[in-house]
Amino acid sequence: MVVWKERVPRLLLYFILGLCTFSTLFPFLNVLAVSLSSGEAIRAGSVSIWPRQFTWDAYRNLIDDGQLFIAMKNTVVMTVVGTSLNMLVTIMAAYPLSKLDLRGRGLVLGMIIFTMLFTGGLIPQFLLIKNLGLMNTYWSLWLSGLLSTYNFFVLKTFFEGLPSELEESAAIDGAKDWVVLVRIVLPLALPVLAALTLFYAVGWWNAYYNVLIFIKSSTQMSLMVKLYQMIDNLDPALLIGDSTNANNALPPEGVRAGAAMLASLPILIIYPFLQKYFVKGVLMGSVKG
Amino acid sequence: MLAQPAVHTRSPGSAKQMASRRSLWKDLKRRPFLYMLLLPVIAYFLVFKYFPLYGEIIAFKDFRLGDGIWGSKWVGLEHFNRLLHSSDLFKIVRNTLLLNLYGLIFGFPVPIALAIMLNEVRVEWYKRVVQNLLYLPHFLSWIILGTIVIGLLSPGSGFINYVLQAFGLDPIYFMGNTFWWPFVYVFSGIWRDAGFSTILYLAAMSSIDPHLYEAARIDGGGKLRQIWHVTLPGIRSTIALMLVLQMGRMFDVGFEHVWVLTNPMVTSVSDVMSTYIYRLGLVNLQYSYTTAIGLVQSLVGLILVLSVNRIIRAMGERALW
Repeated sequence: MVVWKERVPRLLLYFILGLCTFSTLFPFLNVLAVSLSSGEAIRAGSVSIWPRQFTWDAYRNLIDDGQLFIAMKNTVVMTVVGTSLNMLVTIMAAYPLSKLDLRGRGLVLGMIIFTMLFTGGLIPQFLLIKNLGLMNTYWSLWLSGLLSTYNFFVLKTFFEGLPSELEESAAIDGAKDWVVLVRIVLPLALPVLAALTLFYAVGWWNAYYNVLIFIKSSTQMSLMVKLYQMIDNLDPALLIGDSTNANNALPPEGVRAGAAMLASLPILIIYPFLQKYFVKGVLMGSVKG
Repeated sequence: MLAQPAVHTRSPGSAKQMASRRSLWKDLKRRPFLYMLLLPVIAYFLVFKYFPLYGEIIAFKDFRLGDGIWGSKWVGLEHFNRLLHSSDLFKIVRNTLLLNLYGLIFGFPVPIALAIMLNEVRVEWYKRVVQNLLYLPHFLSWIILGTIVIGLLSPGSGFINYVLQAFGLDPIYFMGNTFWWPFVYVFSGIWRDAGFSTILYLAAMSSIDPHLYEAARIDGGGKLRQIWHVTLPGIRSTIALMLVLQMGRMFDVGFEHVWVLTNPMVTSVSDVMSTYIYRLGLVNLQYSYTTAIGLVQSLVGLILVLSVNRIIRAMGERALW
């Protein structure tokens, strides 16, 4: 009797959670299956989570075409340089402002907080980049996204939590300020720095809006902009299927599915690290209720 | 981002530190390195964050690229006037508020329910696997997620319509139907963020004193009663905070989420502030007019955030600043 009262709701709970997980994953499994199915099977709409009439056609076409990979290469450059600049500037801002007795600290913090509340709109920002002659260069993206205030506050809070004796004893030993930062403070902050690096990097990898605004030349397109163009209008050359069977010309859905899979691949590969550090970062940056 | 960082200009420092207040000049001489680090940061903020604020004045001018920001003619409130009398204004404000409202009604309870369920799971590995997989969509861009959603719901080749037809129903063109589109928008939002939003609730639950559950059990409270009387009160402040924060973003719908899902058939329900500003400003080049709209949006957003902070304070929680 007691067993029934305990067991059934418990099993039901596990079942519901399993169902939620499956629903979350289903679209991904479906897009993977579609990207590996023949044109005929896709057009019938009957592909669920298992490829039907397995074929690499979509991927072969995308690789032959190569445009998606040019965009990917651009995005790697954007991500690596952008993230490095982000981390440098975030440390430069957070370290001095974590010193409570720094003169002018409140003023600079106020200046930073205000930008979280009130931003110059899209057009003034666009005109600024245009006037600086940065249109169509990656500097427009790197500079307009140089610092995330959220990440800045996470790092500042961490620095403030370090015991001040650490730095004081080093200073007594005659270590210079920058030596204290590089030798003592940063090594202690490694887990936080790793989390913030991932925050920034994922942001760059997924960048779309700023690229849409500032980058007009097709050779410099980022991955997500390229992917969006494929939703909008797909190059017919990508739809060639197995030539022996006219029925097997690929539908746009198959090629798009392949492109979406390729674009998510790097994120999926580093996913185990990603989610661990993201959870840490969110908890570090959150308001403790 | 999910949560707001705690923005404190004053944290408890050692009293000794605070007592030794020097003049700026003396401090600069003592620790030049710190100021050297800060200088480029300040310069960056002035150029890239504060100069655009000066650029906002083109909302009150008839801006032409050739004349520059300063050289363009003043026109006073003409653009705001035009905005007030534009039929578009009503449409984009309505859509912005409605999509956010639907998101609040349907989306807000989901992570709370998920977190309560996850909190009851005793098999550690199962809990971890479920959590890790629920976070997945949060890390992918809206462009990728949108591609997946559009493919899945496609009337010809999407699997959802295949299932509908298998049950003898007519296929539905979800993306091109003004009734279904908001559902697609809201549910894709839940799909992306609900799992990730459980993090904060679970963290709040983990700090609930286990003795409270013990006491509830001794008093004869079953599982549901324990959830109602212990778990929910334990995360009440987190729920309130998240709710108020979401209210603060009421006037702002992210660009990419709408942009990737929208199409000409559904603009009557999908056109929001951000997409309208992009289209009119950068596609139709109506710089001054869209700056005026953006200014209104920023001001309303500012008022909302300030009110929200007030409310959080009144609730007795630690405010954002």
